[in-house]
Amino acid sequence: MVAKLWIEAVRWRWAPRLPKESLRRFADQRQEGVVTMTNDQYRSEYAHHLIEQVNKGQMTRRQLLIRASIFGFSATAAGSLLAACGGGSTSSSPAASASASGAPAPKMGGTLKVAVQPSITALDPVTIYDTGGITLIGQFCEYLISMNEDLTLSGLLAESWSPNVNGDVWTFKLRQGVTFNDGSPFEADDVVATMDLLTDPKSGSGAQATLLGILSPGGTKKVDQYTVAFNLDKPYAEFPNMVSSSSYNTVMLKRDYAGDWIKNPIGTGPWLLKKYVAKQSCTAVKNPTYWGKDASGKQLPYMDAVEWVMISDSAAATLQMQSGAVDVQAITSFQGSQALYSDPNLKILEFPATAMKEVAMNVTKDPFGDKRVRQAVGLCMDRVALNQALYDGKATIGNDTVFSSIFPNAPKIPDRTQDYAKAKQLLADAGHADGLAITLTTQQYEEVPQYAQLIKAQCEPAGIKVNLNVISYDQYYSGEGKNQVWLSVPMGITQWGQRPTAGVFIQSMLLPDSAWSSSHWNNTEFASLFSDYMSTPDEAKRLELATKMATIEQDETPTLQTAWITQLRAMKKNVYGVHGPGSFYCDLRAAYRA
Amino acid sequence: MTRYIARRLLLLVPTLILVSMLVFALAEWLPGDVGRTILGPYATQGEVEMLNHKLGADRPLPARYASWLEHFVTGDWGTSPVLNVPVFPTVMKALGNSLLLASFALVIIVPTAIALGVYAGLRKDSILDRGITVSTLSLTVIPEFVSGVILLVIFAVALKWFPVTALAPEGSNLATRLYYLILPAIPLMLIELGYIARMARVGTLEVLAMPYIRTAVLKGLPRWRVIFGHVLRNAMVPTVTVIGGQIGWLIGGLVVVEALFSYPGIGKLMLDASTTHDVIMLEAAVLAVAVFRMLSNLLADVVVAVLSPRVRAGEAK
Repeated sequence: MVAKLWIEAVRWRWAPRLPKESLRRFADQRQEGVVTMTNDQYRSEYAHHLIEQVNKGQMTRRQLLIRASIFGFSATAAGSLLAACGGGSTSSSPAASASASGAPAPKMGGTLKVAVQPSITALDPVTIYDTGGITLIGQFCEYLISMNEDLTLSGLLAESWSPNVNGDVWTFKLRQGVTFNDGSPFEADDVVATMDLLTDPKSGSGAQATLLGILSPGGTKKVDQYTVAFNLDKPYAEFPNMVSSSSYNTVMLKRDYAGDWIKNPIGTGPWLLKKYVAKQSCTAVKNPTYWGKDASGKQLPYMDAVEWVMISDSAAATLQMQSGAVDVQAITSFQGSQALYSDPNLKILEFPATAMKEVAMNVTKDPFGDKRVRQAVGLCMDRVALNQALYDGKATIGNDTVFSSIFPNAPKIPDRTQDYAKAKQLLADAGHADGLAITLTTQQYEEVPQYAQLIKAQCEPAGIKVNLNVISYDQYYSGEGKNQVWLSVPMGITQWGQRPTAGVFIQSMLLPDSAWSSSHWNNTEFASLFSDYMSTPDEAKRLELATKMATIEQDETPTLQTAWITQLRAMKKNVYGVHGPGSFYCDLRAAYRA
Repeated sequence: MTRYIARRLLLLVPTLILVSMLVFALAEWLPGDVGRTILGPYATQGEVEMLNHKLGADRPLPARYASWLEHFVTGDWGTSPVLNVPVFPTVMKALGNSLLLASFALVIIVPTAIALGVYAGLRKDSILDRGITVSTLSLTVIPEFVSGVILLVIFAVALKWFPVTALAPEGSNLATRLYYLILPAIPLMLIELGYIARMARVGTLEVLAMPYIRTAVLKGLPRWRVIFGHVLRNAMVPTVTVIGGQIGWLIGGLVVVEALFSYPGIGKLMLDASTTHDVIMLEAAVLAVAVFRMLSNLLADVVVAVLSPRVRAGEAK
């Protein structure tokens, strides 16, 4: 029902450190009389650093692309970095690979019918938080940056971006010649007003939780008509993610936005809102003055109109897709969509994603204070079987660490596999030789009840009796502050949406001061490693720190991470140009029906 | 009779007030609040409290109820804070949709069920009687989401005879709208058919055992006159009461069918309003359904009175 948990109550003590290589060169330059290093020099140093990493085998080409895109290198620039790495051919951008995949030539015109979850509340870009609302707003308003399906970033309203040497000022060059659909130009003033509104405590925006401690009201400054500087509260290596489509409230609004979006739907997006019936439908027609053009210079969007059909029931959504009543499903859920997998008229795009269901074990509650009990539970899990049963085998297997193998530069730690003998031994060592009973509290939401059943079944052979307490979604998230049910039960299953980096997960759920720590895990070594991790842009150093953290996390097992849920998008076979969701953003600019 | 109807109508008012109080009180019990619904799980508690204050949702329950009641009875049904749409037209449109589906289903169910029930009653213990009783009863126990999905898979997805949704495109004429409602009406028919047919059968059997039927047969009345003049009329009394009771369900209780067929009826509206703490929307929708439920019960009672002189006589005293 709801898009999930996307917070960062960040208070990072972040001392910026340059890559070692760069520091050495920087020191050399000082001796040679070059006193300061300009941001441009820093950029080129960073580029060298990335190339070195790849050549040393400490980073893959894909990881280079991702890191380079965060640092504001354009696709072309990143491509030339790859070329500089030597060796094999460069990997292509998602857009290029789509056009190379044998799709027919784009056809203009027509209406696309897309199924989406109904928005829970009225559409307001500042406060939306659910799948339906985010997907719809993204059609009419745009982000500075788009997060692509492979976690790279590319500019939408921002043409380029780069940090200063310290990493606490990020300068964005805006795209010129963009207008809002009321004819007024999009300029730096609009960015400043939007960011000031989102960071204003009175706006009620969920973006504050994300930006807290990173960007304060007044921190966004106009440099000139088309240049904006974000003066951060502290250096933050991953800031561009915070103003990308993965941070969904950050669409750019007109400077005089008055909170009445549905009555006055102004944005720079490719579509114009024609008719909106709450919980039922939304009709969008193409914006004739949209700035975007495709690679061959054709005006975007290709199609004349999009009809959004809001469907809340997953069985109904599946049936509508099967009957051909809709062309595309914005988000296809695993549960209830099985019938679509084998439908010969459909294709289902799969994107490895980082959404997951966290099984948290509260270390402040018996018997989870003993790490051996937590490890034993982890050793009971048959992850391959879970993946098969819950996700049709399409998920990425998890290893009880938030450093999913999907993330760029993810550490490699030993796989955790089912081992009942070891689990029993650990339980015996912990004084539970005769077995023990635990209670798993969880919610009626998506596949969570089935997951809980499987955990119960898989724990049984080790002598762990799991009592299930399945409550409603509303009950699970009820209560105030730290007393909320999901934050205070001994063991629970909580859903987390896609996150752009492992750091965002750690910040929200694994630190002593994390707002959403259901495990209440308090590990000072891990926390201090994390602080170092966030303060270095050196990829080799980051990998070393990440490996240490992942090892500690897996050993301590505050939470089980058994599967990283692949995102699906089902569509008719004759629909092309629809890319995967890097977030809930559903880009239909280049969509067409052959 | 007129006095009886007037008294029943007057009784509506205190009942509705009681219902509206209950809705307010019960909505209070639901976890969460309207500010949290609007701002989402990631907004800070401070932001939520600020919005609740702005919306007046932090005032004590009696104060909120009094202010709502004052506006409601003066015709100002307000604007939903969650969906930012006016309540009155939203509820009326959903109610209209539900009424159309309910009446369409009823128009088919009632004559069919009565015909089957009476026929089974007249042929008690025959193969046809058993066949009708067993088959309608078995269909009754199939939940509507099961029969609905099966119907959709066969007739909308595989054969493509019917659309997969129940809502016809805007501006469609009545015939098209009814065509769209055929599939969703079938699960309702399956459930109601057995129920009403059984009542009609029992009613028929009871009447058939009456001395006046024997008299009618013995005085040589043709069979069709016995059935239509005496049996049917008297056998309908319990059946009509049951139908009256089912109308309420058909109007307000079709959440499952409405969700499965993406039909914007009042059942789904009530469910959404209660899960999003949209109390003023919930109140309006519940009261609209309550009025219809009570009116349909009243109508059933009046019909029973017309059919049965004994009830009429009892009321006259």
